[in-house]
Amino acid sequence: MLEIKGNLQDNTMVIALAGRIDSNNASQAEEEINSLLADYDADSLCVDMQGLEYISSAGLRILLRLRRAYSDLSLINVTSEVYEILHMTGFTEMMTVRKEYRHVSIDGCEEIGKGANGTVYRIDGDNVVKVYNDADALDDIRHEREVARLALVLGIPTAISYDIVRVGDCFGSVFELLDAKSFSKILAEHPEKMDWCVEEYVDLLRKIHGTVVPSGKLPDMRETAIGWANFVQEYLPEAEGRKLVRLVRDVPKDNHMIHGDYHTKNIQLTGDEVLLIDMDTLAVGNPVFELASMFNAFVGFGEYTNGAHTEEFMGFDHRVAQEFWKKSLAAYLGTDDEGKLREVEDKARIVGYTRLIRRSIRRKGLEDPEKKAEIELWKSELIQLLGQVDSLTFLPNELRVEATKKNLARVMGFANAHLEEAGCSEKTRMEVELALEEIYVNVANYAYAPGTGEVSVHVEIEENPKTAVITLTDQGTPYNPLEKETPDITLPAEERQIGGLGIFLTKKVMDELEYEYRDGSNILTMKKNL
Amino acid sequence: MNIAKKLEDKKLTICVEGRLDTSTAPELDEELKASLDGVEELVMDFTDMEYISSAGLRVLLSAQKAMNAQGEMTVTGVNDTVREIFDITGFTDILTIR
Repeated sequence: MLEIKGNLQDNTMVIALAGRIDSNNASQAEEEINSLLADYDADSLCVDMQGLEYISSAGLRILLRLRRAYSDLSLINVTSEVYEILHMTGFTEMMTVRKEYRHVSIDGCEEIGKGANGTVYRIDGDNVVKVYNDADALDDIRHEREVARLALVLGIPTAISYDIVRVGDCFGSVFELLDAKSFSKILAEHPEKMDWCVEEYVDLLRKIHGTVVPSGKLPDMRETAIGWANFVQEYLPEAEGRKLVRLVRDVPKDNHMIHGDYHTKNIQLTGDEVLLIDMDTLAVGNPVFELASMFNAFVGFGEYTNGAHTEEFMGFDHRVAQEFWKKSLAAYLGTDDEGKLREVEDKARIVGYTRLIRRSIRRKGLEDPEKKAEIELWKSELIQLLGQVDSLTFLPNELRVEATKKNLARVMGFANAHLEEAGCSEKTRMEVELALEEIYVNVANYAYAPGTGEVSVHVEIEENPKTAVITLTDQGTPYNPLEKETPDITLPAEERQIGGLGIFLTKKVMDELEYEYRDGSNILTMKKNL
Repeated sequence: MNIAKKLEDKKLTICVEGRLDTSTAPELDEELKASLDGVEELVMDFTDMEYISSAGLRVLLSAQKAMNAQGEMTVTGVNDTVREIFDITGFTDILTIR
């Protein structure tokens, strides 16, 4: 059964096919099509395949002959079944082929997330659809799919869309997401799960920030932020405006991944797996840019409305949001030191307010008295911060890495940055480096052998007297390195054992060493007076 | 770390530049194992070596053991930080430092 209809639209002949084309009806179909084409004098030809269920090779040959007469032949509304055939036979590469998009209704569907350019709904037990605000979102959808794929390949747990659909006049992309629940929802229903959420949230954040992205694959957040600063500069007093631009420009380039919109609506728990969604903002850059967007989501965005905006957006109490932000920042930096936390938060706020001000002004916020007052609040906070802050970069106190020799350089670099900031002498720095290398390599060699696992390196500089405190924590085999036998250093070379000197050296160059096995962890603390 | 070698008759001079640590020591070890055949005088020039950890000491000890059997080994250009490590570990007594 085959139905053929034709009509002319702006000099393009549109031929609609419905049913099946196979060897039985192919020659008759070709005659009908040719007679339709002869009736009209069209410049180009388009075949609408919405109702076409099957096309055999006899039908494909008709398309080839049509293309000889109409070189810009295009096929539209192609069903999945026919698309498969066209794809296999290489037709999708020879001519323009556009798929028919499945229509999906979101009537009565639960909204499970909302981002800057779309809203996510659950359409059934296994699937969700992200509906894009922009009606012309196909490029955005493709971009998001591409970056999600990149992130997954680099080891970041995320969901990748498997289909593009129509939702009303908008486009949507469909993901499989089994029984997922966002962290926002968990916090709304079970505020007592706060600490668990913070831990998982920060673990994933560290993983993202520890991921090196091949150059050119993701946008550079620093460039974006320089754009914001240039925009906002015009609305600030001259000196502050110049300082803002300088601070953002001074942030070093960084090829590590950042999510760009890392808040609890975009973290989903499915089964016991924590997944990242809403990947369209993925970028590379210094972590301060990530912290800025986190501050905005949990605090900055709702500041003018005493938290009302935050609650509306997050779906839970703004005080919970504030606490979640503080705890996450402390866990991420590996410190509870109020002064240090405030210092880093201030850096994040500078970038955060800059972004909020630009966003609101671009949305004509200055023309609305309420919005204008909100902008003024952010501006006054920003101006005050610009008077106090001289750099946007910061050093976390904790580094977590897989305990391998390959990561030695990273661990040393991390500790050295702290020692340099503390301004200690070259000799002292070398001694601390030596001790850290010996203890770290010991963990890398033995703690998880023959497997591997994580080690946390925590560096704190205490004042009065100035002391470097370095703590290594692993969850490997219980082992107290301090009990290792002291080698006899008076023996001649021939009688000396090769090795065994690392721990001995560590004891000699550090001022204090302490080992503890607690809650399944080996904890080794070393102190050195600077 | 960079290694420069100079062989004059039966005298081998090895200059180590940079850090002799867990990551780089195996390279020096291999270099030595491949070059000591027939060498009667080995000079380790540490003028440009900034740092040494126990992994580096191991390599020195095995080189010293090897040279005890076939000639002599001397160490030159040791800076203060490295000398302190040699002192602590008794290597000052094992090695011939010039």
